[in-house]
Amino acid sequence: MHKWSIFKNGILNENPTFRLVLGMCPTLAVTSAVVNGLGMGLAATVVLIGSNLMISLLRNVIPNEVRIPCYVVVIATFVTIIDKVMAAYTPGLHEVLGIFIPLIVVNCIILARAEAFASKNSIGDSIMDGLGIGLGFTLALMLVGAVREVLGTGTLFVAKDFGFSGIELFPQEKGALFMILAPGAFVTLGLLLGGINWLSRKKEAK
Amino acid sequence: MDKQQLRLILVLTVICVAAGAVLAWVNGLTEPRIEAVKELKKQRMLQESLPAAVDFRTDATLLQRARETIGPEICDLYLGFDDQGAPVGIVLTVESRGYGGPIQLMVGVAQNGRVTGISVLGHSETVGLGAKISEDDFLKQEALTGVTFEDTLAISKDHGKVQAVAGATISSRAVVRGVNRGLAAARTVLNDERR
Repeated sequence: MHKWSIFKNGILNENPTFRLVLGMCPTLAVTSAVVNGLGMGLAATVVLIGSNLMISLLRNVIPNEVRIPCYVVVIATFVTIIDKVMAAYTPGLHEVLGIFIPLIVVNCIILARAEAFASKNSIGDSIMDGLGIGLGFTLALMLVGAVREVLGTGTLFVAKDFGFSGIELFPQEKGALFMILAPGAFVTLGLLLGGINWLSRKKEAK
Repeated sequence: MDKQQLRLILVLTVICVAAGAVLAWVNGLTEPRIEAVKELKKQRMLQESLPAAVDFRTDATLLQRARETIGPEICDLYLGFDDQGAPVGIVLTVESRGYGGPIQLMVGVAQNGRVTGISVLGHSETVGLGAKISEDDFLKQEALTGVTFEDTLAISKDHGKVQAVAGATISSRAVVRGVNRGLAAARTVLNDERR
């Protein structure tokens, strides 16, 4: 029951994108399509689970004064290992997700969870937190991606790398090009954040 | 220096050294495979660009010549041979400045001058916009595939026949410019050989 609540916490109460408002750079950069959001989200989830596990293991060894450099080294090592192993053994997947992996190093969600959760909690709880936060991040990216992809290109779930040409909702020429570009990302994220704040406030008022 | 300070230095050093050791080990383990995967991918791309060839050989002298006449954008040059060892064509890799950075292209030209394949090796164009230059909808259009090395291509905005990717004129132009460079290089090399 306890583990389940940690997992749920990452997706809802402490959703990294909509509640903690962390990791905005990848959120804005990769969400031009649902599949891109999914790829970035899953890659970040794997790194989160791994780094949370390592930090939790080392939490009693690392002195408080040097914890941040230690976390950064652990995270960067983990990301590099994943990048190398994927390039060697799953080249197809690496080609698709390749651009997202170096971006994860600079994703502050990973460092934030190391600092705020894994350094204070047991290994099992930390893994659960990594999974919850990671999936929360993935779902948020997919939601932003879905809005931008539909309004920008008229299609949904386009995944050319996997040979899936998506669901066409309306012809591409009718799409608002700016939704795919950076301004569309800011507008979408802003409106979604506002909407979710409004919903949660309404829920609280009850 | 008191004990506490010493501990800080020790822990951080140990963690860094351990990370370095792990990375070196992983690198040693994966590097040969990564190289093999890269080589395999290059061979596959070459095969796609010039399907008639089974054997590809680089030629430093010809590459030098192509660079001198066309420009430093020509990165690599491969001569294609069939299973009898007869030359069937040429493949060039060309770099072209796109919107987000360099675009690497591969242009295959048969011995008779007909274009056999154009593919994008790598690019850093905007996802969802310029990135579409690497998709078949753009690369497999008649105005790009049904040409010879005598042609000079241009996008429709520049009074040519190539249909640019919607909203990505700069990226499309960069591809067309790269292809033109490749075609010109192929023309130089293949015409030289005939003489």
